[in-house]
Parts: sequence; C-alpha cells; structure tokens
Amino acid sequence: MLLLDRSFDVSVQPVAGAELPAEAQRAVERFLFQEARCLDDRRLHDWLALWDDDGRYWVPRFQDQASPFDQISLFWEDRMLRETRVRRVENPRNWSQQPKTRASHLIGNVTIEGLDAAGHLIVRSVLHYTEWRGEQRHLAGTVHHKLVATDDGGWKIRLKRVDLINCDGVFGNLEVFI
Amino acid sequence: MSLSNEALARLLRPDSVHKRLYTDPDIFALEMERIYGHAWIYVGHDSQVPHPGDYATTRIGHQDVVMVRGADRKVSVIYNRCPHKGAKLVPDGHGHAGNTGKFFRCPYHGWTFRLDGRHLSLPLKNGLEGTNYDPADTDFSVNPLARVEVYRGFVFASQAAEGPSLKTFLGGVISSIDNLCDRSPVGEVEVAAGGSFRVLQQSNWKVFYENLHDTMHARVTHESSFEAAREEAKAVGEMPFELLIMDGNGEPYDFWEKLELRAYHYGHGYMEGIFDPAAATRDPVSRAHFEALRAVHGEDRARAILGMNRHNTVLYGSGSPHTVFQQFRVIRPIAVDRTLVEIQTFRLKGAPDEVFNRALTYANLINSPSSNVMPDDVEVYKRCQEGNLTQGGDWVSMHRYVGTDRALPDGMVSTNGTSELPMRNQMAAWRHFMLGTDVTAPLEDEETNRAAA
Repeated sequence: MLLLDRSFDVSVQPVAGAELPAEAQRAVERFLFQEARCLDDRRLHDWLALWDDDGRYWVPRFQDQASPFDQISLFWEDRMLRETRVRRVENPRNWSQQPKTRASHLIGNVTIEGLDAAGHLIVRSVLHYTEWRGEQRHLAGTVHHKLVATDDGGWKIRLKRVDLINCDGVFGNLEVFI
Repeated sequence: MSLSNEALARLLRPDSVHKRLYTDPDIFALEMERIYGHAWIYVGHDSQVPHPGDYATTRIGHQDVVMVRGADRKVSVIYNRCPHKGAKLVPDGHGHAGNTGKFFRCPYHGWTFRLDGRHLSLPLKNGLEGTNYDPADTDFSVNPLARVEVYRGFVFASQAAEGPSLKTFLGGVISSIDNLCDRSPVGEVEVAAGGSFRVLQQSNWKVFYENLHDTMHARVTHESSFEAAREEAKAVGEMPFELLIMDGNGEPYDFWEKLELRAYHYGHGYMEGIFDPAAATRDPVSRAHFEALRAVHGEDRARAILGMNRHNTVLYGSGSPHTVFQQFRVIRPIAVDRTLVEIQTFRLKGAPDEVFNRALTYANLINSPSSNVMPDDVEVYKRCQEGNLTQGGDWVSMHRYVGTDRALPDGMVSTNGTSELPMRNQMAAWRHFMLGTDVTAPLEDEETNRAAA
C-alpha cells in the first residue's frame, strides 16, 4: 500500500540549518498565508495545486506521534485521497456539507526550522482555526510544513503536519482540511 | 406521560416504534437502568491493560467504570468511585494504579484499595475506632460490577448479579468474535498498538445500531463518497483498497437485496460482507494473510476463516465489530441525543504486517472523524433526532419485509437483504429488557406486547 510506504520521511526535526534572506522568509510566510486562504475561500482545486505530487497531509491522533504507520491518524492523505475529499465535499449530494463548512485560519509565529535529509525546508507555525457548520468550533495547534523548492522560485508542499492540542479528544466530523 | 410498563408497551407496534423511544430523556434514563444495568456490555479488550496495575476507564451505560489488571493477572471491572467521599478514583483515560501499580490510592484523603477494589488501608485509622468502620464491609471498598466475563480477550461486564451467562447472551453472534480472533495465526488479537478514535454523534444510540444493518441507506446517504471514490478511481486508472472501501456503498439495490441479514436473540446480528478485500487492484495483503493461516491450520481451515466475509456485526448494547478489517466501533450512550463512538483497531498477532496496515487504512479512512463516509451518516442521524422532535407524526417505520423473515432456532434470517429485520430484532431485545418479555419473541408478536402491558 503506497499510502503506508514507510520510506516517506515524516520527521519534522531538521538535520541541517537553513539560512534564508529576509525576503525569502517573507515569501515562505506568504506561501503559508496563500495556502490558508485557499482553504478559507474554499478554492480547493487551487489548494490541491499547491502540493508536491508525492506530498502527504497528516493530522496525528496522538501527541508526539512518531509516524502514521503504526498508529491511527486523524488524517493521513496522499494526493489520491486529497482529491477524493475534494470530490466528495463538492458533490451536490454531500448531505453533511449543507450548509458548507466555513473556515477561518489564523497563522502566526512562523519560523524556519531547517532542512530535512532530502533538503526540504521545514517551516513551523502556530494555527488558530475556527470553523462553522451549524455550530462553531475552535481548533488550535502547531503546524509543520515541509516545502520543496520549485524551478520558478516557488514552493510545493511535501508534508503538512497539523498537531492539534486536542488530537486525542472527542470529535464531531472533520470534513475539510484543517 | 407516565412510564408505566403499560405505557411503554403502547410505544411498540409489530412494524414500527414511537418516536419517544429516541427523544424522551426519561426513557433514556430507564434504558440505562434496565438495558445497560442488566445486559453484558463490552468494557474493553484485555490487551488494553497488559500488566498488573494497568487500568483503562470507560462507561457502561451511565456508569464510569475502570477495567484493571490484578496482581494475579485477572481483569476486574470496578466503579470509578472512592467509597469515602465519592471522588473518582482515577482520571478518565488509561494508566498505572498508584505509583507502583500495586494498589489504588484516592487523591483526596489517601484511602487505598487493592486492584480488585477491596479496601486496603487509610491514614490515621485510630480516628475510626469505635465507629462502624469495617474494612471488610463493602461500604468501605470500591465496588466491582456484579459480573465480569472474558471471552478471547474481550472483557464484558453485567451490572446484574443474575441473568444469562455471557455465552448464552451472545448466542450465535459469538462466531464474529471467534472469526476476528481466528484471523490471527495464533488466534489472538490486541488493541493497544493502534489506539482508538472517539467520535460524537448528536443522536440517540439506537439510531446508530439500526443503521448498522440498514442496507437501504447506503446508496442514498453515501452518494457523495462513493461517487467521489468512483470518479477518483477513473482518474487514477485503478481501484485501490482505499477507494474500494468507499465504493461499496454504491452497489445497486439488487445487490443489497441478495445480502443475508442474520438476527440473534438479545438484539445481535450480522450482515454479510459487501466488499471482498481481494478485489482491490493492488492487494498484496489477502494472499500473504492466507499463507500465514495455511502454514498453521492447513488449506481448508485457512479458507474457512478468511471465507467468513461479514460486514458489520452488532453486539447489542456494546457496538459493532468488523471482523474482516479488525475494528470495533464501541457505542456508548451519553444522553438521549448524544452518543460517543470509540473505534478500536486490532492487530492480529502473528499475521503479516500488511494485514495491520490494511486495518489501519480502513480505520483512518472509514472510522476516523475525518472519514469521507461517516459524516453523511452522522448528518442523517442528527436530522432524525431533530425531525423526531417535531409534531409531524409519531411513528418510526420498520415495515420493510415484515413477516417474511425466516425463524431459526437461535434467531431469524432475512429472505431479502433490505429487510428491516435487524431493527425489529433490536426492538424485540429492547422490549425484553425494558418490559421483561420473552427474549425469543419477535417484535411482530403482538401477544407479547399485550402481555407486557
């Protein structure tokens, strides 16, 4: 099962430092803001396009979870599953998206952490996220992005790991990407 | 409205039940007493408490309880209440008793208890001299649930001292627990490695039970997820396991009509499998699993074990094991309109790693709060809950194929896979617990209702 391919490096501990000029750091921040805005504006196809083909979206179920391979995860999705989720929430007969989930991401404390073994840039941020669908809920946590530099000077997402402070809590539906 | 047995009996018809069963807090309170206070309820799996002193908390009906492994390795189930002032002895979750794992110590005044709850000691005993304090009196111990039985690692408790044995209660549905365990080459499963999800439904607990064998909802409720899976399969040019398990709900009606629904006394049952895991385009798992079982049991037995392809099993009052993908959706009623579902994932001891990987994938994709399938279920359950609060009618229909199910010595079997037999069977068990009627009488048996009233 490719989804559980253990060779995928989920570690967000840097193995090397990364020195970015201030302008490049601001570009990374802007990338994160742009990603969040795609989700808030529900431009999900634009969001899908921000990803590296082999990128993974991960929301661990446990604090300090070492990997998605030995324990359950709230989300562990490759491109196929991200696309499937988008197809579902956009399907006209998505009873649980009537009304649609509305989302508001607030991102802060963005820091460049360093590089992983493959040279991906590891970026840490803090997320405060409010969602409404009939009732309002607030989620918060730490986000790690691993970014791949593209030829045109931009970035693609290799890994997005969202560690919710209530990852082991009781949840209602989590229908859209956090 | 009073809740005399007569009044309760009037809420049941051979083919429908009154909506109050789902919305009335007083009926919910009675259910906690009469169903959850008597039936055998799944507490947890003994692999959650592998070492002496390990404990895990959960709820049996409206009771907070603690499953704990004793020094003699025996598993006990005790109420989470210190007998002194009533403080919960341990916080919710799992852990190790005290610092040493040898005894419980209440964090309020330091009373201590053996791992099975019996009184051990308390500070400054001389202050109790000349009083009725008696360490042997159960008033000074953490009380155990009346009965505990363990079947192949699955721990069940009953709050009633009298009643059928666990095996009698489970009847033929015990074959699902057996099959789940038999899928391990050493015949054992463990829950600890994978952990569990906890998902809240804003609906009555019975709504979820009824849905588990409701074959008529699949292609309506789940249209968004099976269509998404089918579109994606077309885009990627194959039907991998991850999509196959979402696609199954989209089978046409004649597929569901041919399925077999089996109902056992006390509300249990199972429905025949709806997808063959070996049908996935990439399936390295089934073959490896078969080989591991064949090496131990030989060809025929291995074929029989893996050939038992069941979708959801219902253990009434406890939840729904899924044998093929090693899940247990444990259903905990919280309030008349709130139900907590704890989803455990099991590892088959001695089976190839791929089998656990498949279970993990099934859990993440189907049973996680982020499931693409479950939200539409949870949505319609909530709509039932809210719709039944209106005055737009009183009865909840269970008419489909009423009177056509075939009786068997230990229950019934559908002649059509879209029969609402499982719901009627659950209601017959409900009537048995709530009104003391014969557990073998089907809901259609009006004489039983009249006798109860």
